[in-house]
Amino acid sequence: MGDIGRVLNTARDAILANLTALNVTGSNVANVNTPGYSRLRPDFGSIGVFNTSSDQQQVGVKIISIERLYNKYLDAQVVQQEPNGAYSQAQLDVLNNVESIFNESTGGGINDLLSQFWSAWSQLSANPSGMTERDYLVSVSQSLASTFRQRANDLLKIQNDTNNQISDAVTQLNGYLDQMADLNDKIVQVEIAGGNAASMRDQRTELLRKIGQLVQVNYYEEANGALNVYISNGRSLVEGSNVWKLGVQTNPNNSNYYDVVFQDTPTVAINDKLQGGKLAGLIDARDAQVGGYLNDLDKMAAAIISNVNAQHSSGYDLNGNVGGNFFSLAGIYPPVAASGNTYAGTVTAGGSYTGTKHKTYEVQIVAPGALGVATYKVSSDGGNTWGSVQTMPANGNITLGEGINFTFTAGTFAANDTFSVNATYPAAIMQVDPGIVADVAKIAASATVNKDGDNAGLIAAIQNDSSLMGGGLTIDNYYESLVSKIGQNIADAKNNNDQQTAILNQMESQREAVSGVSLDEEMMNMIKYEAAYNAAGRLIGVINTMMGTLINLGIETSISS
Amino acid sequence: MITRVSDNMKFDLLNNSMSGIQLQYNDLMEKLSTQKQVNRPSDDPLGMGKILDYRSALAQITNYKGNIDSSKSWLSSVESNLSHVSDILTSIKSTAISQASATASASTRQIAADSLQPLIDEIRSLANTKFGNRYFFSGTRTDTEPFSETASAVSRIDTPVAATGNTFDGTVTSGGAYTGTANKTYAVKIITGGTLAASTYQISADGGKTWGAVQTNLSAPVTIGDGIQLTFTAGATNPVSNDIFYVHAYAPGYYNGNGEELSSEVSNGVTINYSITGEEVFTNQGKGTVDIFKVLDDLKTALVNNDANGITSQLDLLDQAGAQISRYVGQCGTRTNGLDASSSALDDMNTRLTSLKSNIEDADVAKLATEFQMKQLALEATYKMAGDLGSMSIIGFLK
Repeated sequence: MGDIGRVLNTARDAILANLTALNVTGSNVANVNTPGYSRLRPDFGSIGVFNTSSDQQQVGVKIISIERLYNKYLDAQVVQQEPNGAYSQAQLDVLNNVESIFNESTGGGINDLLSQFWSAWSQLSANPSGMTERDYLVSVSQSLASTFRQRANDLLKIQNDTNNQISDAVTQLNGYLDQMADLNDKIVQVEIAGGNAASMRDQRTELLRKIGQLVQVNYYEEANGALNVYISNGRSLVEGSNVWKLGVQTNPNNSNYYDVVFQDTPTVAINDKLQGGKLAGLIDARDAQVGGYLNDLDKMAAAIISNVNAQHSSGYDLNGNVGGNFFSLAGIYPPVAASGNTYAGTVTAGGSYTGTKHKTYEVQIVAPGALGVATYKVSSDGGNTWGSVQTMPANGNITLGEGINFTFTAGTFAANDTFSVNATYPAAIMQVDPGIVADVAKIAASATVNKDGDNAGLIAAIQNDSSLMGGGLTIDNYYESLVSKIGQNIADAKNNNDQQTAILNQMESQREAVSGVSLDEEMMNMIKYEAAYNAAGRLIGVINTMMGTLINLGIETSISS
Repeated sequence: MITRVSDNMKFDLLNNSMSGIQLQYNDLMEKLSTQKQVNRPSDDPLGMGKILDYRSALAQITNYKGNIDSSKSWLSSVESNLSHVSDILTSIKSTAISQASATASASTRQIAADSLQPLIDEIRSLANTKFGNRYFFSGTRTDTEPFSETASAVSRIDTPVAATGNTFDGTVTSGGAYTGTANKTYAVKIITGGTLAASTYQISADGGKTWGAVQTNLSAPVTIGDGIQLTFTAGATNPVSNDIFYVHAYAPGYYNGNGEELSSEVSNGVTINYSITGEEVFTNQGKGTVDIFKVLDDLKTALVNNDANGITSQLDLLDQAGAQISRYVGQCGTRTNGLDASSSALDDMNTRLTSLKSNIEDADVAKLATEFQMKQLALEATYKMAGDLGSMSIIGFLK
């Protein structure tokens, strides 16, 4: 009975093993579309050896293990590649918005308006007493100014949106980090107890890819199966089940946009440590690229405003008056006196803002008194840090910094009287001086008090002045190169994105070649296991028959005669 | 080298190539419908920059041509007026010659004098013509009629004008005698305001283009040059910086304009003076050599007085007058020719720039149409593959 029993057991083992194998095949087929799934392969192994009188026989089969087919180096390659593509993609998304703002291909943009602006001055110089020419000039100037304002404000809006996206991405990352810690915990527990955590490991690798899309990370697996994830400067994000989350912190030196920080060290910005991924892409797009375009637009607006104003004020208008400002002062909003102030005089702002970021300046009175007696201090970051205390001069004229000045009329200051002024990109508030709009006779077209048109001619000639923007560029040229630069940045981002995506696809294919499910292959396996199952079943049948024979030995069979 | 193909790989590969071909297909469709090669800066960054540059240059050319056209119409009217004047002068001269001879008598001379006046009036009215709202022959004082009917024997100084935007509300009067030989506009500009005694100011002798040294004290009469004196009287408000006062001074004669020419930009960095001042054509001030109206008035007086010698002495001056007018008629022609040359050079540049721009910007439709066909084929092939993919599985062949 022993031998037969043994064969029965062998057959039983075969059936069970092949059933399990079919189960594994079923799992592979079911998960063919699961992202990050690594196919499983049942490892058949024979159990035990039976010594017969003449040799050894291997009997029985068992599924020794269910192997998860993956190559950790291929996985690591994919995780390392993710940030590169994600970086370009993030930039591309932001820059596509910029491109639609600056799309000059259909005409009607700044390039056309600038041409019309300079032409209008030229036409005015040919007929300096003409009212039609003056009206036309004002109308074109207003269109030009309003287009600058619109472009600047559109860029600011894009910066703002990108800023919010950064905050959202950090929140998303923190969510992933929590999930990672959770998975680490579970995997360790399961594997300590000797179980198989294959599907959780697959999930964890997928999570790593998602994290990699947001920020470039390195990782290594500890002996107990937990994964430690850290960023390029070595600081950990996840260690086992501990998490160090990232956060955002406003930066008053960067128009109050967000810096990325670790939540436990909020004063240390890690923008440059992110090295790749969507977060770094968004930050670079916001600061280096869109910020750069805003600065270029400002440089142009400031050049137009200051050069036209300077030439305008050395000419005379239709009534013989010296020309005033053609464009309103660049970049400076009207100052605001705090509501609790005792000072009863008026303060006006003057000058041209030369800074490159949106800022709030404040002037606060320290020691009370009248003009010439009171002392004050100046802050360039909205009141966080202050400069040294100075005495208010008798003519009420003080310089705040970066081209902004204040003029106070006579009055007495009390201690802590505060005056604030917002300085912004000149392009964002460029406008034609309201005095000119109200009375076009004030346009100073003449170089003498008589009715010549030479001053208007000199203003028109600013178009061809190649000393204004550095590098031998005229104002028109500068804009052309700005548009070119935007196009180049986008083309670069597109190319980079295409390239990185191709590389990623290649690596994914390699990974798929090892870990991916092939339905054809699973079908063949299914046939294989089914055949083995059938064969084992047939074996059981045979054994059964044989046992029947055995059992029926010694039972008299009635012989029918 | 891929050694094993999984299902995901098959579908991903097909997906990616399908997206790729669709992107190219879309791109071609866009170019065909806009007929442009460059539809956004990123299509061709350097090209876009050049396109904008060409557009700018073309707009400038249109502007210059407009300026050239208006200068040409100005010059053509001036030329026609001066031609008329020249014709009238010729007929006056022949009358003068005949009246200078011994065959004339007091009565013929009187008749000649009577018929001379309307001719003088006509010349003056030609000299006082306007183009729109600007006088042709006043120099830059285009709002002032250039020639009066009678000459002023002595130099004149106008009442000083305070610019309308001034803060100073006191009065300023002129005095002294103008010693200059041509009409001028003087200006006084306040540099730092305050009381009259404390204010600092600058003087300009050319209407405000260039300024002299800063001086102080306006409480006493100020000699601003060429014998002109200005006296300021304080008002309720003190003068402030940029308050400006100007005064016109005239040399003796008929002329009320000045000698500054109007200019206009006709090419990059090139301005031409298109106006001809009354001073140089009709007077003996500035660049002019003959005071034509004086000659004619003197001639008339001599005719009325039956003064044969007087008439004879005007004959030579009449010659010079005729020559002066003819010279400027010629000038109009010369300047117009110059403008025509500039205009045709601009036309050439226009053609060239337009073609350069079109090379970069415009699409070659024939080439695009061919590529479009090819892409369509490629897309169809991909679609067919995608359709067959689902059925290429071993499952269909089992059992």
